[in-house]
Amino acid sequence: MSDKVPVRVTINGQERAAEVDPRRLLVEAIREDFGLPGTHIGCLTGDCGACTCEVDGQITKTCMVLAVQADGSDITTIEGLANGEELHPIQQAFWDEYGFQCGYCLPGMLFSAKDLLEQNPSPSEDEIRYAINGTLCRCTGYDNIVKSIATAAKRMASA
Amino acid sequence: MTDAPAGKNVGSRQRKLKGDLFLTGRATYFNDITVPNVAHAAVKRSPHAHARIVSIDTSRAAAAPGVLAVLVGEEAKELHNPIPYFIDPAVFGGKSPPVYCLAVGKVKYWGQPVAAVVAETPGDAQAALDLIDVQYEVLEPVVDADRALEPGSPRVNDDWDDNLVIEIPFVEGDCDAAFDGAEHVIEGEFRMGRNSTQPIETRGNLAVWAPDGSLTFYGAIQNPHPLRMHLSQTLGIPETKIRVIAPNVGGGLGLKMHGHPEETLVCVLAKRIGRPVKWLEDRRETLLIGGIENVQRYKIAFDSTGRITALQNRIVANVGNLTSAPGWGMAFLMGLSYPTGYKVANTDVGVKVVTTNKGVWNAIRGYGKQGTNPVMERMVDAIAHRLGLDPVEVRRRNLIEKHEFPYPTNSGLNIDSGDYHGALDKICEWLDYDNLRAEQQRLLEEEGRYMGIGLVFELTPESADIPGTIVGGFDTCTVKMDPQGNVTVLTGVTSPGSGNETGIAQIVADELGVDVEGISVIQGDTDSCPYGFGNYSGRSMVTGGGSAVLASRDVADKLKKTAAILLEAGESDVQLVNGMASVVGAPEKAIPIPQVAFTVYTLNFAIPGIPEAPLEATRVYKPQNIRHTPDEKGRIQPYPTYSFAVHAAVVEVDVETGKTTFQRIGCVHDCGTMINPTLIEGQMAGALVMGIGHGISEEIRYDDQGVNQSNRLKTYLLPRAGDVTSIEMIHQVTPSPFTILGNKGAGEAGVGGGMGLVLSAVNDAIRPLGAAVESLPVTPETVLRAIRAAGHGPGATQPNWPHA
Repeated sequence: MSDKVPVRVTINGQERAAEVDPRRLLVEAIREDFGLPGTHIGCLTGDCGACTCEVDGQITKTCMVLAVQADGSDITTIEGLANGEELHPIQQAFWDEYGFQCGYCLPGMLFSAKDLLEQNPSPSEDEIRYAINGTLCRCTGYDNIVKSIATAAKRMASA
Repeated sequence: MTDAPAGKNVGSRQRKLKGDLFLTGRATYFNDITVPNVAHAAVKRSPHAHARIVSIDTSRAAAAPGVLAVLVGEEAKELHNPIPYFIDPAVFGGKSPPVYCLAVGKVKYWGQPVAAVVAETPGDAQAALDLIDVQYEVLEPVVDADRALEPGSPRVNDDWDDNLVIEIPFVEGDCDAAFDGAEHVIEGEFRMGRNSTQPIETRGNLAVWAPDGSLTFYGAIQNPHPLRMHLSQTLGIPETKIRVIAPNVGGGLGLKMHGHPEETLVCVLAKRIGRPVKWLEDRRETLLIGGIENVQRYKIAFDSTGRITALQNRIVANVGNLTSAPGWGMAFLMGLSYPTGYKVANTDVGVKVVTTNKGVWNAIRGYGKQGTNPVMERMVDAIAHRLGLDPVEVRRRNLIEKHEFPYPTNSGLNIDSGDYHGALDKICEWLDYDNLRAEQQRLLEEEGRYMGIGLVFELTPESADIPGTIVGGFDTCTVKMDPQGNVTVLTGVTSPGSGNETGIAQIVADELGVDVEGISVIQGDTDSCPYGFGNYSGRSMVTGGGSAVLASRDVADKLKKTAAILLEAGESDVQLVNGMASVVGAPEKAIPIPQVAFTVYTLNFAIPGIPEAPLEATRVYKPQNIRHTPDEKGRIQPYPTYSFAVHAAVVEVDVETGKTTFQRIGCVHDCGTMINPTLIEGQMAGALVMGIGHGISEEIRYDDQGVNQSNRLKTYLLPRAGDVTSIEMIHQVTPSPFTILGNKGAGEAGVGGGMGLVLSAVNDAIRPLGAAVESLPVTPETVLRAIRAAGHGPGATQPNWPHA
């Protein structure tokens, strides 16, 4: 066992501190030290995207970052995407368009979609596919994910 | 969101129940379950494909920080009985070695568990693995299945005379005579690589023993009740002392059917240290498990009109090291499924299931049918090319016609219903087929571009019952209404994330006249759910849906009887709609369903004639059409339903890089009555893209020493969003006469279709070069090799592209 290191972060708007094993990946600290299991582990090599969060405004595969590296950062996880009980328009569109089946890839899909729509409010299908290329889904064949993001874009534009 | 008539949920596009939990990260998966005092296991795996274990020294590992115990095979063997086979080859006359959770005596594949560490943290357990010293005497591995069948090749199992697990013949008619008299014969050899399921959530198991000797087992698993039986047999305790719980599963796809060593391992380790033990699979471990790999040496006879008269096929399936998981059975299905939906009078198909020193198989969505459909379609395309006929026309001439169902096949199957020609017409209309062919020709001649049109038929027998195994073709459902009118459904089918809980709730909502989103569906817990077989074989809505119909009708009958008394109406005049029990034709005579329920529970003595409380029913549904009594040829009929599809794709192949780009993908799918079209489209789109992945990029490769070369998602390439395009989904509905709602399986179709599509489309594109691919996956490398073999491209005999 290694000596633990203090890590302080703001996570979903709350200031949190924990003593973490320096071997720990950020995804492991988010799940286990900060008790937010909505961020998932799929590959630990940055290939699947199930561990995606927003770290200091950047979408980040949190298996590619050590927990100690995140000291002082501001993190939003999938648990922090909705506004209380009101789903984020992207979450709502994923529900309405059946944009997920097992739900395991959702952290990557939702944050990639959010990042895309912040930069490009009316993306083409190709642009949507490019934006979510870093997240793997084995259930949907991506069709309904693309539809969900297009629907979210339309709704957010008219809101 | 609803297409169906008001008050009707079946047929509507009901959104996923509790979808908000998943979307906000609050749905519980295996890895989210925590229990107090849990310890973590890690597995030491073999670095050789075939080696004798000379010695194992665990002393350094045992002394490492945080380590609680180290276990090796010789000890583990004394702690559990051999792990029962999910489908035992011995039941069918084959051979099956005993399987233990850790290797005993020798290792038989690269990555086989040799020892295990349990420690305070996963990191401590992982770190200690490197401190286990194993001495091996390396043996010559046998990697290739043909080589494994040669006399004198190394034997995977020391006490076997050969490496043949089982040989299964499917023979009908007189093939020899048909080939002798044939106008045309095409022979070929088709190689299908080893692919894999790879859900984004890996496997995991957690064992918690209670002081009374009972076991609670949590797992990312598909079949809780069958697993309970197998754990009972493995651990030597009665099923009554075991509770198996499957939380939300992050994709199953066949991988999470059990028979894996780690299920037993965590139980044994937990018992050893007297604490709960958890093991979470690493992606490298998931990629030890594959399937499908086979070679097919086929010969097909046909007349000059393109009608197929005979089919001979010798299939050799490389199942790697045989294990208790049900994967090997896919090889059986590859043979059984010939000649899919085509009428062929004479067939002689043989399957050899061969064990080698490659990794293990487990089930893969499609369960072997994806080994059949693409090759059958390849043969049909080849016939068209030989005769200069259109491939669609050759399909039209050979597929079973609408009026011929139910249709008995040569292997003894009984295809329930279908309209294959209708599906062909619909896909051609969507493609604008004739004009598309003209455009293809123009692109080639005027622009030197290689467009390919792929078109494949796919038949998917689903919802199997295999006699003498724990693969059951029926299932059970309990429907309960409490005194306040709330409905709970407990079902024996589980959801791998496919949404069957939503479909089942839709059925119950219609039968009971209640709001679908208020229904609570409970799955995956052997202590609360009725006996069921879980998730496989596209069975969830056939058996889970059918049993939900029957159980909710029983509850509805009690509600109607009660309401009839309260409303002073005839029982047959009472309907349950929109939360009310009302009298047909007299809408003012109505009473809220919760009030009816409350009456049943509270006025059972007071009002004569009220049905007995509680409002609960448990019913089993056995679909028709399954026949286990062997016919005069010894054949059985294990499938109730046969969904089918015709898929099409337009691709462009870059003949200089070998890259295939999808421009259009379309599918006409017929799975009978649709409970929820959105769920079905989701199943088909997911299966098709998985099949396209298997068709174009996914392969677990081994070197000639049996070492896995594809153990990360960087080397095993799943399709990404940008690799495919949108899918046009066209529905056709030919209800099954053999299921209660007329629905057919809808979980597996598309995998074989996607694989076949890639093959058909790429071959169509490169045909003007005289090139053809006879293997899967069709990687860019494969395409270039085929083009080069045809004499084109750099370094080839004809340096100039014909149309460039």
